[in-house]
Amino acid sequence: MIWQSSLPLLVLCSSLLPGLIIFALPESSVRIRTTLNLFGAVTKLALVAWMVWDVYQGHQFETRLQFLPNLDFTLQMGPLSVLFVTLSALLWLVTTIYAIGYLEGSPHRSRFFGFFSLCVTATAGVAMAGNLLTFLLFYEMLTLVTYPLVVHRGTEAARQAGHTYLRYTLPGGVLLLIGTVWLYTVTGTLEFTSRGFLQTVDESQHPALIAIFFLLVMGFGVKAALIPLHGWLPQAMVAPAPVSALLHAVAVVKAGAFGVIRIVYDVYGAEFASQLGVTQPLAILAAITILYGSLRALFQDDLKRRLAYSTISQVSYITLGVAIVGPIATIGGLVHLVHQGLMKITLFFCAGNLAETLGIHKISEMRGVGKRMPLTMAAFTVGALGMIGIPPIAGFISKWYLGLGALEVGQSWVVLVLIASTLLNAAYFLPVLYIVWFCEPDHPWCENRHFDNSETNWTLLLPALATAGMAVAAGLLASLPYTPLEWVRFITHNQFYQ
Amino acid sequence: MSFTILFWLVLTLTWPLMLVGMTTCTATRAWGCRLSPWAAVPAVILAVFIGPSETFYFSWLLLGTELGLDDTGHIFLLLTALLWWLAAVYAKGYLPLIEQARFFSFFNVAMLGNVGLILAQDMLSFYLFFTLMSFASYGLVVHERHAAASYAGKIYIILVIVGEVALFAALAWAAVIAETLSFEFARPVIAQSSLLDWVISLALIGFGIKAGVIILHVWLPLAHPVAPTPASAVLSGSMIKAGLLGWLKLLPLGEALMHSWGGLFITLGLIAAFYAVAVGLMQHDAKTLLAYSSISQMGVLTAAVGLGLMVPAAWPGILATILVYTLHHGLAKGSLFLGVGVLGKCSGHWRRLAWVGLWLPALALAGAPFTSGMVAKTLLKMQTLHAPDIWSAVFQTLLPCSAIATALLLGKFLFMLSQPVSTRKTEPLSVPTLMVPWVVLLMLVASLPWWPLASETDLWSGDILLDSLWPVMLAGLIMLVSVTRNQWLPRRFAINSPTFGGQIFSLRIPPGDILAPIEWIIHYILNGARRLCCDELPHRYQSLQSFLQRIRTTIEWQHLIERLEWQLCRWPTALMGFLVLGLILGWGKMSF
Repeated sequence: MIWQSSLPLLVLCSSLLPGLIIFALPESSVRIRTTLNLFGAVTKLALVAWMVWDVYQGHQFETRLQFLPNLDFTLQMGPLSVLFVTLSALLWLVTTIYAIGYLEGSPHRSRFFGFFSLCVTATAGVAMAGNLLTFLLFYEMLTLVTYPLVVHRGTEAARQAGHTYLRYTLPGGVLLLIGTVWLYTVTGTLEFTSRGFLQTVDESQHPALIAIFFLLVMGFGVKAALIPLHGWLPQAMVAPAPVSALLHAVAVVKAGAFGVIRIVYDVYGAEFASQLGVTQPLAILAAITILYGSLRALFQDDLKRRLAYSTISQVSYITLGVAIVGPIATIGGLVHLVHQGLMKITLFFCAGNLAETLGIHKISEMRGVGKRMPLTMAAFTVGALGMIGIPPIAGFISKWYLGLGALEVGQSWVVLVLIASTLLNAAYFLPVLYIVWFCEPDHPWCENRHFDNSETNWTLLLPALATAGMAVAAGLLASLPYTPLEWVRFITHNQFYQ
Repeated sequence: MSFTILFWLVLTLTWPLMLVGMTTCTATRAWGCRLSPWAAVPAVILAVFIGPSETFYFSWLLLGTELGLDDTGHIFLLLTALLWWLAAVYAKGYLPLIEQARFFSFFNVAMLGNVGLILAQDMLSFYLFFTLMSFASYGLVVHERHAAASYAGKIYIILVIVGEVALFAALAWAAVIAETLSFEFARPVIAQSSLLDWVISLALIGFGIKAGVIILHVWLPLAHPVAPTPASAVLSGSMIKAGLLGWLKLLPLGEALMHSWGGLFITLGLIAAFYAVAVGLMQHDAKTLLAYSSISQMGVLTAAVGLGLMVPAAWPGILATILVYTLHHGLAKGSLFLGVGVLGKCSGHWRRLAWVGLWLPALALAGAPFTSGMVAKTLLKMQTLHAPDIWSAVFQTLLPCSAIATALLLGKFLFMLSQPVSTRKTEPLSVPTLMVPWVVLLMLVASLPWWPLASETDLWSGDILLDSLWPVMLAGLIMLVSVTRNQWLPRRFAINSPTFGGQIFSLRIPPGDILAPIEWIIHYILNGARRLCCDELPHRYQSLQSFLQRIRTTIEWQHLIERLEWQLCRWPTALMGFLVLGLILGWGKMSF
């Protein structure tokens, strides 16, 4: 069916075309730009929703174009792709609304929204890529289109952060390329296959496979901010809040984590990878990253910096869940891809609201801000408690499955890591909540902009509330059909039990 | 019938939630505060009129939630619902109007948690409600906003988090062992498992923090007194029991014999029972003293749980005793706390009357004849006869001693309150709103021995009355001696100390007792770490850098390289080098 085979392409175009048109728009045509943006986002969401329904019925969508001899440009919609595409489509819509409010009246908006759309296109491409080569193409595209967003402000600090970003990600890309080429010479195929395509490789090649695994993981580890490749992330937080939100929750960091997932499940196959003995070091690396990120977050006074270190820690939950290798831990890791996105985007929205409305950037300036911006800070509280893993917020579900999964396969040390991480998370989030809700402000607020009656612009407030609501719903109603958890169970069922 | 139960069950949980919503929204705040005293009413109806029910399964909530009311839960719900209801009515009169919205928001969430964890029959919803209660109580602890409250709140929240992670691990382990989330089906499987020790030790920590097990009790004497009085009453009367209920739900009591764990629980419990009294006697604040009394009483209950671990065969009887004891202690402790608040807010005639009223729950806690305390303690003593070997003797000796100790502690409490408080600003008296819930609670305490809970055994024989009388009488005698000592002792023995505590013990121990040395040690370690990170390491780093700098500057690298280059450029050197290289290569070729 031509219609079904072109659907993944349509999903890509729904953000690519508006993006390209927006580049051509003059700065002043706000209305057309906004309409285009929202049209693209809603169209994409509708297409994705349709695909979600169809994939759940067992259909697969595939777009295949001739690209290189023996290597096609493949876009595929399996359950795993759907998970990531849905996340990106949903949060893109929310973030677009937020960005429209956030950047109101600031310069270079056409450039910003153009690259913003390209960034989401690249993310969707990463999600839907059907083989490692296609994956790599979109992955590199993501690196390049994110750079203008990071340096958008054009300040010295922003340029510095942009340089650092490229210094980390471009070599990472090179590593990936080497790994991919090497893998191709060994196997002659790069198609993602459920449960991997390397089991048939000759025993003598296993050392090579191990080396390739680490090359690829290092390549993806740059974006997934695995220690010691995490240095760019805290610096990149100078970007505008919607960019940070998208960067941390959906696009760049998640693309790295998603790469690790693809490598372990669809290239190597979880069981084969654990036979090779490569998952245990990965799990240990992830555990160290979890603890190190939290430890660093403890000492940051800049709110966005603290959130950035928290991202380093939290994204490694995904890697950890993947590296434990077991159906339940897999559920924990994969579902955290979505859950962490919902919670972290909420936190960044709130940080942006504080900066835009009251000019607050530091935690020490947040004394008593709960009274001035109760709804924003309520959303922030949900995000923060979710990060700690307090039920019924989504983060708890991830943590529960990770803990259960680790114990199930006899890796009880992981529970210790989870406990330590929970304690550290509490140690750097709860004081913020205390300052926000239980302290009195020590000086009058300096209002950047004026909003009659409401605490801030509704385009800034609603996205934060929406994502916070989703984070609670994803935890409290975790067992309903089409929730992240149910979807991940569906994926895991395919990966482990068929 | 089933539908009615479901209706009340759901209403019990949704009604407080609605009220929380109302108190947090500005528009409906006034109504929320007006209705908040009635937040617990559905729970009271569920407990009093409906009673134990079947379990309902909500597959869409969390990972599948089971809510229901079993026999154990029924008694807990009875205590919890009544206490929260009366405390809420009391709070309406106790707190100034402008603070009520803030107070009731936290109060109702905590109540929702406390009631919910009783109804929860599966691990995750239990954990959810337990967490809700713990976190919401933080708002109650720091309500007064002064330095002591913030400090108590800090210690409290740290221990809450530690408890949370211990509980998380305990439940995760239990769920992995049992492969089910339902407590009922999990217990027998856990009992057979080799990983049992992990579950028990983590549960001991996780629930022990809430129940005030010794060493983990340090938050309790800080947090219970600084909260507003109605909050103290529910903290000490009802929420403290959540830890106990957790043990009853998770531990395989009556399923397996765990001699050493039983011994540990009993030892910890009995140590707490006496240690807390000893420290409590050195307190100078009535509410702190009551908090220590709670630790001591929870120690007795911990020992009873230990007895259950040790003698699984006798578990049904022990469970019944624990339930009676729980109900007795919760109601009595609640009414003592509320009474302290009443006393603080009235003067003159009313104050004297209220002081007399306090005697009833105090005597009940001490186990005086014709009180609920006598029933609870006698039942417990009967159960301890089942204990193996030495433990039975231990219980038989220590339980009366514990009764004496408790009576002494409460004697001091009554004595402290008998002295008129001089400088206290008298607020507009809302005595009726405070009095009514308190008197109702007193009536409940007084009538408890005649409730149909433990009627199958004959508790009213002369022996039992005598048994319960002598510890109280003995304690009373000691009190009398020490109070009047100055009057009848020769002048030279008299100690001219202004306070009663100064007469018995000249020592004072700050609330939180062992917290002070622990804090000192932690402070020392953290300070050391800070010095290491902020002073030592940068210093080392700097000296390393200056060392490298020195190498760079003292040796003239550029000159050295230039000379090397110049040497290489000379023909003889170049030829020599070429020759050597060629030889090496040739040799390499030959050897392969």
